[in-house]
Amino acid sequence: MNSQSESSAHSSEYVPAALEVKNLTFCWDSQHPPLAFPDLSLPRGEHLFLHGPSGTGKSTFLSLLAGMLPPATGTIRLLGTDIHQLGAGKRDRFRADHIGVIFQQFNLVPYLTALANVTLPCRLSQRRKAATGETPTLAAHELLTALAIPESHWQRKVTRLSIGQQQRIAAARALIGAPEIILADEPTSALDSDNRDRFIDLLLTMAEERNTSVLFVSHDRSLARHFHHQLELGQVPA
Amino acid sequence: MKAHLALSLATASLWHRRKVLALVCLTLTLSVTLLLGIQYLRTEVKQSFTSTISDTDLIIGARSGQLNLLLYTVFHIGDATNNIRWSTFQELKQDTRIDWLIPISLGDSYKGFRVVGTDKGFGEHFRFGRGQPLVLAKGQWFSGVFDVVLGAGVARTLNHSIDDEIVLSHGGGRTSFSNHKDTPFTVTGILEATGTPVDQAVYISLQGMEAMHVGWESGVARPGRTLTPEQAEGREFTPGAITAVFAGLDRKILTFRVQRDLNQYTGEPLSAILPGVALSELWRLMSQFEQALLGITGFVVITSLIGLIAVLLTLQTQRAHEIAILRATGASPGLIASLYLIECLALAVVACLISLGLSAFAISMLGPWVLTNYGIQIQLRPLNLEEWALLTSVPLAALLAALVPAFSAWRQSRSQGFGSPGEM
Repeated sequence: MNSQSESSAHSSEYVPAALEVKNLTFCWDSQHPPLAFPDLSLPRGEHLFLHGPSGTGKSTFLSLLAGMLPPATGTIRLLGTDIHQLGAGKRDRFRADHIGVIFQQFNLVPYLTALANVTLPCRLSQRRKAATGETPTLAAHELLTALAIPESHWQRKVTRLSIGQQQRIAAARALIGAPEIILADEPTSALDSDNRDRFIDLLLTMAEERNTSVLFVSHDRSLARHFHHQLELGQVPA
Repeated sequence: MKAHLALSLATASLWHRRKVLALVCLTLTLSVTLLLGIQYLRTEVKQSFTSTISDTDLIIGARSGQLNLLLYTVFHIGDATNNIRWSTFQELKQDTRIDWLIPISLGDSYKGFRVVGTDKGFGEHFRFGRGQPLVLAKGQWFSGVFDVVLGAGVARTLNHSIDDEIVLSHGGGRTSFSNHKDTPFTVTGILEATGTPVDQAVYISLQGMEAMHVGWESGVARPGRTLTPEQAEGREFTPGAITAVFAGLDRKILTFRVQRDLNQYTGEPLSAILPGVALSELWRLMSQFEQALLGITGFVVITSLIGLIAVLLTLQTQRAHEIAILRATGASPGLIASLYLIECLALAVVACLISLGLSAFAISMLGPWVLTNYGIQIQLRPLNLEEWALLTSVPLAALLAALVPAFSAWRQSRSQGFGSPGEM
């Protein structure tokens, strides 16, 4: 069945979930047992906390969701689109258009300025560029101001900024052009607890303003209170 | 839009890694400079070589092959097979088609340099390069019997100046045991450097040549028969024979007819050659060597390109995070691969541009020095088609070589997971 036609047929009354996962498994190779992932469905604009100790395949799960690894079985629908039915080029474009990402560390392209790192998605996606309304640079200014990055740092090499600033710049990059989904892979693990809570609050508030769903992966269960939903990884038997 | 993004990312990335890449770029620059320089010198040396003699329409000597005649008259290499009778020279003078004649009489030497017996016509009519005449750096042409004019190379090597007295040797060779010591010559003039074999010879009048050989009829000096300079003054000397003649014609269109007439001359067996034709034939003989040299330089460039690729492949591991970010943000593997192609191409283009400047600088600085020391004239000129082709082949080769890291980056980034590689 063509998932795209289905989603467009219902577009007037039915808003597809930001994220829908069913029967998902993944297999590195025949030597390893397959990894199984829980089913989940996340409505647009709501946030999910995904708890998983290390070794439960958090990064693999995110790779599958981002369309960067093919699943062994099961389906992943992002905004109603089964992304693994798309060709490689279309999958890359879908990611550019609809997904913002924040990594654990090393989030920024080292040879670009803070500002250029933030506007990068707008250069890869026409859709996100158009969604900024004004120019991407102005949108980036707003985001960086809101995330409390001093203006003097905007043109700086990102390698000279603190970890906290780097993670906030990564958040600005994920938020720019209002993508429907943000995938965040332990973005706060390198921050102290004060910074951690402030970062999550800022991220979630700004995501809500843009009707963006945030899927946040962490091993730190204490962060779960910020989110609408939470889920455990690694409890589903293969 | 993607092309623009790739370009700006590649530029920023190159700048970011400028310290490492500057070294690779330097290696490439030096090898390209070498390649360009050798190709340029090939053209220049050929030019310098083929313009050893100009405006001379025919070289006339005793019957022999054209290379032999060219070698001993122009390059002073080897010996004449035979002489031309003086009467034949007189007869050539009567030919109305011939504008001017320069008699050349060879056979003696001065400390390894050839002695050329000639007349005033040599200074007037001899041309080299693009029709440049001989110019005296100091002094004047010979007027007395025992006057000698030195080529620039001779004067510099032996450190001679005007009014020095020199003793010429009988026959060739650097160390001759039979010297014309009874008839020393006085240096009256020194020529400007020409970058031709003219620099490596000394010039005397035909009369001087005859005068110093009086009493040498058997090949060695017979005591008492040789002249003293005092005896020679006021006497008329007429040579019996000369070695060769340079001739200029009134109408160039008649060159081939005059050549045929001379080759069929009935008085004695003569050969007349066109210097330009003989020079290019001689150059063809030597071109094997320069081809080999160019080939070697080509390999030097290939070696430095391989070095460049090795460095780019090494940098690839450092770039894993950056590639992960770009991929997760939606960049295609093609965009990642194109970064490598653009960076490699840009490095090659920069190397080519720098080496162009470097070559131009080196040639304009070293040109005069090479001329005075090695007698090769090298001038700054616009590149010819062949040199442009060689230069543009370097970025093309770099682009081809860049396919290696580009393909490996493309393959890796296709299987790139979310986040840094290896922690999935």
